[in-house]
Amino acid sequence: MHEMGIANSILEAVWKEMVRYPGYRPAKVDVRIGAFAGVDPESLRFCFEAMVRDTPPPRLELAIEPTAGDELDLGSIEMEEVLTA
Amino acid sequence: MISVPLEKKVLGENDRIAAGLRLVLDATRTLSLNFIGSPGAGKTAFLERTLRMLPTGTRAAVLTGDIQTENDAVRLARYGYPVRQITTAGACHLDARMVEKHLVDWDLNALDLLLIENVGNLVCPTSYDLGEDGKVVILSVAEGEDKPLKYPGIFKKAELMILSKVDLLPYVPFSAELARECACSVHPGIEIIEASAITGEGFSQWMEWLERRMESKRALAVDYAGAIQ
Repeated sequence: MHEMGIANSILEAVWKEMVRYPGYRPAKVDVRIGAFAGVDPESLRFCFEAMVRDTPPPRLELAIEPTAGDELDLGSIEMEEVLTA
Repeated sequence: MISVPLEKKVLGENDRIAAGLRLVLDATRTLSLNFIGSPGAGKTAFLERTLRMLPTGTRAAVLTGDIQTENDAVRLARYGYPVRQITTAGACHLDARMVEKHLVDWDLNALDLLLIENVGNLVCPTSYDLGEDGKVVILSVAEGEDKPLKYPGIFKKAELMILSKVDLLPYVPFSAELARECACSVHPGIEIIEASAITGEGFSQWMEWLERRMESKRALAVDYAGAIQ
């Protein structure tokens, strides 16, 4: 139920990095979700995909690594260089 | 392609506010407990009876969260302690910012006990630290014994489980023994108190638990308050 808020927090972290890395486009963000985190990975993916449909950055992929504890962590963001003509 | 390591909590901002709250609640020696349970588990009734039974002179206050209405605050305010309703307007849980906002202009130095009744929900409140000393999960005998297996997160994080509405046990097909086994399989060592807010069963044990925790908070906080001056 709160997966929309979690998705928003992940996007906020991505936006912060976008500002720090001009000329790059975030392509993938990694998160770790523990079995006891109280977050449903599929529901989170649904919310995340719904949000990035209308919000930048475009084509941002969410990679979820399931873990055993109560982790709800951001791993890393993969940034792609944007080629300008 | 470059990889930018973040390595932080998704809810880092909530955790940061919660850590600030914990610092203040430690310094003022205020024991705070976060009560979590399904809608209808009996959280409000449990807190009502608790307020009624607190030893005279206990300086307690209650924050109660709901998506809509002030009904719970009205119920809880009948016992003479300060009560504030947090209306989340849609959010299925309390977060640290809501708690911080609703503690404004309460003198925490004048409080020994802060009871926080979360929004009725066994899932989402689990993820949000409110700066509390401990989580208490309330499971009623009108639910299924296997709730701890279905919602393991909260049963793992809670240090105490209240098995509520035990006055209904003769009328419902519920095995308290099985519920205990389910809770212990998720969280070995979880403390369990069987209680009824109607008959008062189990409340002497609960009040002893509460008094013990308030006592240790007073003792812990003395050193801590000294250390940060």
